[in-house]
Amino acid sequence: MGWEEKQVCGYTEFVQTAQRYHGRPIFALFCGDKDAAGRSWCPDCVTAEPVVRKELHNMPDESVFIYCLVGDRAYWKDPNNEFRKNLKLTGVPTLLKYGTPQKLVEEECFKEELVRMLFTED
Amino acid sequence: QEAAKYEKKVLVLDFVTPTPLGNSWGLGGTCVNVGCIPKKLMHQAALLGQALQDSRKYGWQFTEEVKHNWMTMTESVQNYIGSLNWGYRVSLREKNVTYENAYGEFVGPHTIKATNKRGIEKLYTAERFLIATGERPRYLGIPGDKEYCISSDDLFSLPYCPGKTLVVGASYVALECAGFLAGLGLDVTVMVRSILLRGFDQDIANKIGEYMEEHGIKFIRQFVPIKVQQIEEGTPGRLKVTAKSTTGNQVIEGEYNTVLLAIGRDACTRKIGLDKVGVKINEKTGKIPVNDEEQTNVPYIYAVGDILQDKLELTPVAIQAGRLLVQRLYAGATGKCDYLNVPTTVFTPLEYGACGYSEETAVEKFGEENIEVYHSHFWPLEWTVPSRDNNKCYAKIICNIQDKERIIGFHVLGPNAGEITQGFAAAMKCGVTKEQLDSTVGIHPVCAEVCT
Repeated sequence: MGWEEKQVCGYTEFVQTAQRYHGRPIFALFCGDKDAAGRSWCPDCVTAEPVVRKELHNMPDESVFIYCLVGDRAYWKDPNNEFRKNLKLTGVPTLLKYGTPQKLVEEECFKEELVRMLFTED
Repeated sequence: QEAAKYEKKVLVLDFVTPTPLGNSWGLGGTCVNVGCIPKKLMHQAALLGQALQDSRKYGWQFTEEVKHNWMTMTESVQNYIGSLNWGYRVSLREKNVTYENAYGEFVGPHTIKATNKRGIEKLYTAERFLIATGERPRYLGIPGDKEYCISSDDLFSLPYCPGKTLVVGASYVALECAGFLAGLGLDVTVMVRSILLRGFDQDIANKIGEYMEEHGIKFIRQFVPIKVQQIEEGTPGRLKVTAKSTTGNQVIEGEYNTVLLAIGRDACTRKIGLDKVGVKINEKTGKIPVNDEEQTNVPYIYAVGDILQDKLELTPVAIQAGRLLVQRLYAGATGKCDYLNVPTTVFTPLEYGACGYSEETAVEKFGEENIEVYHSHFWPLEWTVPSRDNNKCYAKIICNIQDKERIIGFHVLGPNAGEITQGFAAAMKCGVTKEQLDSTVGIHPVCAEVCT
């Protein structure tokens, strides 16, 4: 079956989507919002996204890749935002395997070997 | 990782042979997965239970009865361990160390065969090899042991509360586990063949046992199990244990939900092809003798950690030995691992921190007339308000009279023993004498000041 991608905005939509695919491997990439021209306020996210996309074919069959825009810069900087509080995210970009302690944060997402390791590790 | 720093091409082969009950774990070795880390976390869970009791005397009011949920604790602990396993994977990858989850064994000079869990074999050659395969829990060799008993390899990820538990053994693993299981509210019995904590100061070992007994842990002394049968399947099930006295013909029976074996650990050196490359091991214990540079009798093969003969089985010692070895090999350093005055702590309900000689070993080595022992009970201030034991915590310092009363043994029994001992270990490395200790002003009010 391969894998499929879901694009979501904000915490609530993320959680609803993750719950819908419970039982399948779920990987999520969290990035800062993009402006009208399609550029994110988060420069590291701009760097990481193509690296991650290039490795998506390494995800196991049936995987769901959730591409989640977290919000604007002000929302992200708030130490009490839902992503920080509930998902324990510490930075963007974050690439994680949902429901496991496996994640890559910030510059770790630039390294295709680490991304590949996250997608293929069991 | 140290070798990779010096631009060496490094391969790590890590593989966990599943326990008899099918349990396995990730990268990091015993300490991270089924040793120090989960042990300390569960010990903390038990201490928090005690703190909740004490808190009422400090004015905290809560009406609900406080109960413990094994699954909640275990899930949190396993989650943390998982993050460590992952952290090591990332770390190795970032430092360009190749990692394979495969079982390594020597097949010939400079050659190793790696078999992964799907049975696929690969061959590797290398200039040098470092063996750090550690140990695994020993089984009793009696009917029912592998089918029905668990070990520390299974306990920390047990997917159900162990219930009424029989702990077989008197090692620190046995006592620490018995300690926290009882602290979480379970009915715990410890079956001891002879003495407690062999190798540790026996005066202190007995105090530890006494404290545990006074706090609800049952001890059956001088008995060994001879048979374990299953009465009822379940999670946990019900087991019947038959045990025989070591001093006569008496046989007893008992029923438990779980039997935890903690009677010792055996080195993983017998099935890694050491005979194919001529590495000598102690046939009886399986341990590998090495020189003071961690080199085996085969010059290109080294070993560190719990598998070494006559060396301490502690994580920090293994790490230190490994790092120094690599620095000697590739960075021109000359420092060797110092195995003297290594501090250690036993995380029994009443914690025990020690560094240096036990009293009996000091007497044996220096002669009773040449050592002076200073000791004192103490009552932690935090225990006064909740009226906890006022005569159980204890500190003992052993001095060498012939060498300016230099401190050669440090022992403390009480809360936070590990934290207390670390500093004194550094002082002992510097050769601290009783006089220097006396002239050190104590911090008040803390337990450690009893030592100054």
